[in-house]
Amino acid sequence: MASVGLLFLCAVRPAHAGTFFVTVAGLGGEPDYDQRFTEAATDLDHILKSSGGEIHVVTLTGPNSTRQHVEDALAQVAREAKPDDDFVLILIGHGTFDGVEYKFNLPGPDVSATELAAWSDRIPAKRQLIVNTTSASGGSIAAFDRPGRAVIAATKTGTEKNATIFARYWVEALRDPTSDVNKNDAISAIEAFDYANAKTAAFYDSQKRLATEHAVFEDTGKHESVRAASTETGEGLFLSNFTLIRLGSAQKAFADPAKRDLLAKKEELEQKIDTLKYQKAAMSPDDYKQQLTDALVELARVQQEIDK
Amino acid sequence: MNRALQAALAGGVIFCAAHAAKAAVTAITPDACATLRKHGKTPEAHSCYEALSQQRDPYLRAEGYWGLKMYREANDQFRQAVAQSDANPLYRVRWGRLLHERFNNTDADNLFKEALQHDPKNAQAYLGLALVSADGFDNAAIDWDEKALALDSNLIEAHELMANLALEDSATDLAVKEADAAMALSPDALDAMAIHAAVEVLGDRPPDAWFEKIRSVNPHYGEAYALVAHHLILNRRYEDGIAYYRKAIELDPEDWSAHSELGINLMRLGQEDEPRRELELSYANDYRDAATVNSLRLLDSYKNFVTFKDDTLTLKLQKKEADLLHPYVEAVAKKAMATYEAKYKFKLPGPVQIEVYPDHEDFAVRTLGMPGLGALGVTFGEVVAMDSPSGRKPGDFNWASTLWHEMSHVYILTMTNHRVPRWFAEGLAVHEETQASPEWGDRVTPEILLAIRDKKLLPVTDLDRGFVRPEYEAQVIVSYYQAGQICDYIQSRWGADKLLEMAHSFAKVQPTADVIQQDLGISAADFDKQFLAWLDGHVGKTAANFDEWRKDLKDLAEAAKAHHNDDIIQQGQQVRDLYPDYVYDANAYEFLAQAYEAEGNKKDAAAVLTDYEKRGGHDPDTLKELASLEDGLGNPAEAAATLNRINDIYPSDEQLHRRLGDLWLAQNNYPGAIREYSSVVAMHPIDAASAHLSLAQAYLAAGQTDKARENVLETLEAAPDYRPAQKLLLQLEDDNKGK
Repeated sequence: MASVGLLFLCAVRPAHAGTFFVTVAGLGGEPDYDQRFTEAATDLDHILKSSGGEIHVVTLTGPNSTRQHVEDALAQVAREAKPDDDFVLILIGHGTFDGVEYKFNLPGPDVSATELAAWSDRIPAKRQLIVNTTSASGGSIAAFDRPGRAVIAATKTGTEKNATIFARYWVEALRDPTSDVNKNDAISAIEAFDYANAKTAAFYDSQKRLATEHAVFEDTGKHESVRAASTETGEGLFLSNFTLIRLGSAQKAFADPAKRDLLAKKEELEQKIDTLKYQKAAMSPDDYKQQLTDALVELARVQQEIDK
Repeated sequence: MNRALQAALAGGVIFCAAHAAKAAVTAITPDACATLRKHGKTPEAHSCYEALSQQRDPYLRAEGYWGLKMYREANDQFRQAVAQSDANPLYRVRWGRLLHERFNNTDADNLFKEALQHDPKNAQAYLGLALVSADGFDNAAIDWDEKALALDSNLIEAHELMANLALEDSATDLAVKEADAAMALSPDALDAMAIHAAVEVLGDRPPDAWFEKIRSVNPHYGEAYALVAHHLILNRRYEDGIAYYRKAIELDPEDWSAHSELGINLMRLGQEDEPRRELELSYANDYRDAATVNSLRLLDSYKNFVTFKDDTLTLKLQKKEADLLHPYVEAVAKKAMATYEAKYKFKLPGPVQIEVYPDHEDFAVRTLGMPGLGALGVTFGEVVAMDSPSGRKPGDFNWASTLWHEMSHVYILTMTNHRVPRWFAEGLAVHEETQASPEWGDRVTPEILLAIRDKKLLPVTDLDRGFVRPEYEAQVIVSYYQAGQICDYIQSRWGADKLLEMAHSFAKVQPTADVIQQDLGISAADFDKQFLAWLDGHVGKTAANFDEWRKDLKDLAEAAKAHHNDDIIQQGQQVRDLYPDYVYDANAYEFLAQAYEAEGNKKDAAAVLTDYEKRGGHDPDTLKELASLEDGLGNPAEAAATLNRINDIYPSDEQLHRRLGDLWLAQNNYPGAIREYSSVVAMHPIDAASAHLSLAQAYLAAGQTDKARENVLETLEAAPDYRPAQKLLLQLEDDNKGK
């Protein structure tokens, strides 16, 4: 059983690792959009900076979000980040796609997805995430995609050209604790994606407007973007392990050697519950319910001990 | 001798057979073929049209193909005919008639208008325009037809159309007069005879003599029965209408229009299998108008619906929202049934079926071919179809009020055997909405105020026309309001029982003027005068103030934009009082509340929004703001009541249910809290774990530990590390062990 726990511990990145966030609010083209993009980026900046932990945040808005500043910011991350760190690039604004190349609209010269990808390649962080919330962002996925880097795009293709609202709900996801659906006191990239995706769809639905954006992600390296996670194909697994924000004291217990046995037991029970869920279809409902209840009760008692 | 000529001769229409066959064939005319068909000589007519289709003249070929139901070929030939002889209006008129018959009214309309450019006095072109307009119950149909008759008073078809239009408007005398005019011009005016038959059927008198006349001309003229069916359906006599469509099909099994109508109307009565067969039959035979195609699509979409049934109620809800809407719709429907059963002293013979459509297009299929707006709900006997609250923007309508309205129709139509004029059924239903809740029902909107001010209300005896064939854009809405106010007036002056008495009088097929004279003791003309005086006492001042209000509201909006709170507070009340029923976009209530809130005066903000709520304001965000103010001012019960009202408007709101659940749980209203948290769960929220946990807590508070345990397990299955759920699970475990 101890080996299960060890495996689990190996699957997560070291507790001391940090996350580097670079957020860029691009050119709005008109005051309303400029204001909206800047507000979203500024809100995100506050949320990230107040979330604690080993977080490094660079936010570029308004006249500061030039191509040169973006390159400089990514170069700085490339200098500071370690392989065990995580790196997240968030693009807010308008994008264009001419069928070949995606460009992110910035004050002055625009920047292409290829250039952004090249600058991000210099960053040693093994786990990277690019969240492109712009119009036509689907056209950037192919350029960004590489092993160890997940891509989230607000539109499924480069041809969805209307201004998007995904960014609004992406920011909201990191602020709203209800996006933490598994209640582990952390918001993972997949939870934030699911939240923003659902809220975006609900917005168009409630306004009786035809949805002009359909968010997708690619996190398997198969170069196939998808709209939802799948336990069968493994899509979404990388994002579910990619923590963006920690809400509580989830990491505190790891620092306490006296609780290591309890933590190992907890992890064992969590694995057991996960396994049970995967076996649910093959089990009788009564048997499933009984085994699940037993495991959950035991897990609750272990957690009670850990919290003492 | 060729087959066409033999047939033509057998039909007795043709001329001299002694000449060469070629000469005889060239003498065959579209009119001759049409006459054969009109007299039921189908094989002969077929041969005649076949002969036409072999003529050199593309126009004649077009008529021939059309008669043979080879519509594409006919269309091609008409195109060729027009290309060859652009100035001949006849070709365009006939082409337009073909397109009208084949469901393309847009192009038909254009062709008739083009024909008029070539010949401004072409009566047939005006008739064509009238036919196109008549399809959509457009008032222009009457104008066009009048023009056609003014140009050619011998145009039989125009008289028949006028008779039909008049009967649709319940103007029976005019219908009979026009039908007689047609028959005076031709003893074969079958549709005029059918109008007479319809008049008899609608009056519950035997139509046999008229059908006998029709049979003597054409024993297979099923269209006469279909015409009667059309009028029965318009008068909401669906069962009777269906019976007549069946007779039409019996006489002419290839009347695909009748098959389609039969299918559509069987659907309206809640059936699925036979309608599908009938509609598929029509479709397979190339009868593919919008109603047929869309009805088939709707039938296909029923796989996405789920049905809840008990002895008195069948609910058909879209799967995605069924669990959410079920408790709310069922509660309102059951309450309405109990209320109407007692009030109308009538028990429905069978269960009511309520269909709720989240896709407005699906609902719209239900109202195709029906007059009036049909905007929110429609009742077919004991079947109600309505828009789902999720089918429209939040705050667009109060679905509970709409359902209450439709349920009134269910009772009134059933108890009067569907013999009640439209104005009375609609007026009573609107009246019942406000009787159920003063916040429900129609407010006096700006267009209604303008109609009142400009004296556009119809006499009560003509009020049906306002619903069926509106003369101006807002007339349907105005007519709903007027009819509702008439019922309010009758109740206030003669008492509520008088309305029931009138319903029973209408059931005896008495016209409005007679019912008013008999039951209210005054003439319809006096009734109109006294009603208008009463209405003037209620809204006359508001109508007179309309222009001043509009100007002041604009100023108020400017002040709000500039955040001039003092000005808003100073002027807002006066603007509001000029037109207190105005609770729509940019209303004085919201401007005032925002100004009060900006000044930190939450009490007055809450007070003004309470007025808004009582006046029927139904913007969910504004009502949620009121609830927040009420809660903040220490009135959680009022806050809960306000939020609960939003359930009647837009229940597809997760946060609404969470807040209301929390408020009711804190107020020990456990059933209410359970319902609200269940609604959160039913919405499949992103945060399912916390939704199940809240529900578990409500169940636990209500003493339902099994359900509490079930839900806490659901919570932890989704989020095994959720601390509050773990605690609750352990509490339940410990309680269980302690027993």
